[in-house]
Amino acid sequence: MVAIIQKRKIRDFDWFVALLAIGIVCFGAWEIHNAQPTETFWQKQLIGLGIALVAMLTIAFSDYRRLVEIAPLLYLLGLVCLVAVLVPGIGMKINGHRAWIRLPGAGQFQPSEFVKIPVVLMLAKYFGKHRSGPLTRKELLIGCVILGVPMALILLEHDMGQLLTYIPLLAVVLFLSSVRMWMVAAVLVACIAGAPLAYAVSVRAGLLRGYKLERINVILDPENADKRGFGYHTWQSMVTVGEGGLLGSRDPEYTQSSLKFLPEPHSDFIFAVTAETTGFVGCLLLLASYALLLTRLITDARRSRDRTGMLVIMTIVGGLIFQIFLNVGMAVGMLPVIGVPLPLMSAGLSSMLATFIAIGFAISVQLRRFVN
Amino acid sequence: MKFTDDSQNLRGRLRLIQALVMVLLGVLSVRLYLLQIVNGERYAEIAENQRIRLLPIPAPRGVIFDRNGKLLVDSKPIYSIILSREDTKGIDRYALIKPLAEGLMLDPEILRERFDQLKSQPAFESILIKEDASPVDIAWVDAHQLEFPALRVEQTPERRYPPNGLLAHVLGYVQEISPEQLDEPRYKEKHYKPGDIIGQNGIEAVYDEYLRGREGYRKVIVDSRGHIQKEIEVVPPQPGQDLVTTIDLDLQQAAEEQLQKSTTKRGAIVAMDPNNGELLAMASYPTFDPNLFSQRITTKGGRAEYAALLNDPQKPLINRAIQSRYPPGSTWKVPMAVAGLQQGAISIDKSNLVCGGGIQIGNKFTRCMGHHGTPDLRTAITKSCDGYFYRLGLKMTIKGIMDMVEEFDLNKKTGIDLPHETLNLTPSPELKAQVNPRDSEWRDIDTVYSSFGQVYDIITPISSLREVAGIAVGGKLYIPHLLKELKPIGQQGNPAYRPLRSFQSLDPQRPNPKIVPIPEDQHKVVVDGMWGVVNNGGTGAGIKMAGFDIAGKTGTAQVVGLGKDVGKNKDHSWFVSYAPAYKPEISIIALIENAGFGNQHAAPAVRAIYDVYYAKTRPQPEAPKNNIALRIR
Repeated sequence: MVAIIQKRKIRDFDWFVALLAIGIVCFGAWEIHNAQPTETFWQKQLIGLGIALVAMLTIAFSDYRRLVEIAPLLYLLGLVCLVAVLVPGIGMKINGHRAWIRLPGAGQFQPSEFVKIPVVLMLAKYFGKHRSGPLTRKELLIGCVILGVPMALILLEHDMGQLLTYIPLLAVVLFLSSVRMWMVAAVLVACIAGAPLAYAVSVRAGLLRGYKLERINVILDPENADKRGFGYHTWQSMVTVGEGGLLGSRDPEYTQSSLKFLPEPHSDFIFAVTAETTGFVGCLLLLASYALLLTRLITDARRSRDRTGMLVIMTIVGGLIFQIFLNVGMAVGMLPVIGVPLPLMSAGLSSMLATFIAIGFAISVQLRRFVN
Repeated sequence: MKFTDDSQNLRGRLRLIQALVMVLLGVLSVRLYLLQIVNGERYAEIAENQRIRLLPIPAPRGVIFDRNGKLLVDSKPIYSIILSREDTKGIDRYALIKPLAEGLMLDPEILRERFDQLKSQPAFESILIKEDASPVDIAWVDAHQLEFPALRVEQTPERRYPPNGLLAHVLGYVQEISPEQLDEPRYKEKHYKPGDIIGQNGIEAVYDEYLRGREGYRKVIVDSRGHIQKEIEVVPPQPGQDLVTTIDLDLQQAAEEQLQKSTTKRGAIVAMDPNNGELLAMASYPTFDPNLFSQRITTKGGRAEYAALLNDPQKPLINRAIQSRYPPGSTWKVPMAVAGLQQGAISIDKSNLVCGGGIQIGNKFTRCMGHHGTPDLRTAITKSCDGYFYRLGLKMTIKGIMDMVEEFDLNKKTGIDLPHETLNLTPSPELKAQVNPRDSEWRDIDTVYSSFGQVYDIITPISSLREVAGIAVGGKLYIPHLLKELKPIGQQGNPAYRPLRSFQSLDPQRPNPKIVPIPEDQHKVVVDGMWGVVNNGGTGAGIKMAGFDIAGKTGTAQVVGLGKDVGKNKDHSWFVSYAPAYKPEISIIALIENAGFGNQHAAPAVRAIYDVYYAKTRPQPEAPKNNIALRIR
């Protein structure tokens, strides 16, 4: 019996997603090495990959429905962690954000990365029931509460980047839960039209000022921005990306990152390093890999046996593409500097572990598509 | 899809999300295309520019010699304390002022100024904290390396000038370029930068571009904090050209000695070779110490010293030979005499004019210093008869005097290779209208004043010397100059080669010499008169020299009233001369401010210099003993 299950599991296991993800991480580790050759980030990243694979397999071979069942428990645990982070003795400050918890012997981890998973499960659990009509106001409200509580806690950490990555989770769930199309269209229009208006009004009203304003201004007009001040990160990242050209920088020994012109090259700006070392070709290959990964996940979602599974995968897809867009958009100077890691590429165990756990869920869903 | 749900078009919505994923990745790809393919070259250039730096290596400045190869100015290495700017990035530099000023005994105000100046400059320049650091200072820096890691000790050259202000006005001095100068086009064009040491006065300034050489540089790769990662290229500096001046140190010392010994210790003495315009000596007194500017100006004491110089009523910074103007007094009679003959106001045969002890114009009597009867031109020059020249001036008319001024370039600068030469004031109806608008009409009395070197004639010693020297050699007015040659540097054919350069007029349009046509017979009459001044019982008879015929003219320039001894406003004492009278080799002018009569003060000073010249150029006959020995051999 066990042998049969194992055999079928191996046959149905989504090797493509798993291997693609591992491939991206390995490529990422190489770029982390390029970014900080004298540091041990890339080695840590590969060790992290081992841990993440164990986690992914564990999740993949367990029944996601059980985990969805216990989602409220996980969710509560997540909230406890988020509160714990705010307690000075337990929470650690890194780069101005009190977002890490120190684990004796194992370094530190970032709860806000992991809490996404119980949030996804909670949303899937609540919205995964069979639907018979359009989205009700009550459903909308409950969805907002599920998302809102952890977001409020993250807001207290002042970690705007992580905060933003929570929004697409609910957006995707609502979109796939019969929210009326006119409402979707209305929100989109409001966002597109509202952004410049909000910018103008808040500048006029003095709400947007100081470094936050500068970080936006450098996006709008990088040539005339304060390149040595708050525009520094964006400008240097653009220069680094641009310098890569078609096939990568001419002088691989002295790069923007090795000369420390590019800040945070191994984490938030890993994409700029990739662009500098591999050029346009390498960047396109990386983006194509993400496209393949996400497309495959969407296919898995479409094939899933139930709504819950479909929602789990699709919220993961939503979270990933949003994070990729924020991070790369920041690196190429289209978006202001927000501390969001590039999934599977940026150095950091928390982010990688959370991503692989999410992929583990996707694989688990897809493994059980024929099981009743 | 294993589950069914008719209430929503789920399949369509999933496709929409798939499409959104592709659109977002597509947008990023387009942006990457713009950055990397369209503008890639430009960003590569920006990246390169921010990592490559040129670090200057200063060039040794050229040495200055006198005409006989005696050392006048050189540079010696000293130690400076430098604050590396990039290492202090992000920390408040101004917080360093107090500890550094205390530790290195500096004026905090000077440090503050230097830090201020840096704000407008590109990154990477280091800040000079203290020059000429003593061993104590260097030890202090070593001891505080942990506290102030950005402090460094560097070796730099320091300019050394002769002691006691010798030749100060001619040499000038070097000093750090000022913020105002950095904004001037002539410095901007040549890419001068803060901290550059440049010639600020004298020949140091005029020949700065030859003396300074060319800076070398190290081309390095730096990281974002300015730390050097790798050296790509080193271009060694090209040393400045050594400069040989026309100055003869012995004559210069004699001239300065004379001024120092003079009653008022204020004045100027200039010696020139009338045959080519080479200046053999140029002294101005009181003088100053140029080392103040090259060595001490950034110390508190140095600044006080400079302030004292600026406020000194004796104005020691002024080069009196070229920057101060005085009425020439009777020395004016020399060009008057030449022009009177040239213009035909008098002739060699009929040059006699009445002295009359003076002249009555309207209700005003302008007297002569004596009663000379009806002298001829020779006697009038020799005895310096004012009455004669009053009448000569009236015969020439103001037009004739103005022509004379034009002919002897007295209304122009001499073109000497020194900065800040002053222009003379010379007589003209326009000048009168300017200085005396209430009585602007030109009258005969004004012509009389103009004819004996008062009121409307106010000239620099250098222009007077040039004119008399020009007359001495029969009408060739050379441009007085200090540059004998700039020595060549490098190999011919090499791009870094700098050829030998001798004096060239700064104004290429200007003829050198300017030819003034003086008929030989007329020339002889004037020379006879000037010879007589010293050698034939004239006003300068007191300085007569055996075997060396000095020709000259005394002058006593009225300050308040001619000959009136009014204490510190006594007349200026002039003597302008050349020698030997009929074969000129050297021409000397002396002016002693407020000393009194020319023959009592200026003439003896000039004589002292001729003595030195004579001793140098007319070697004493060798002892007879030697001659005998030679003969025996």
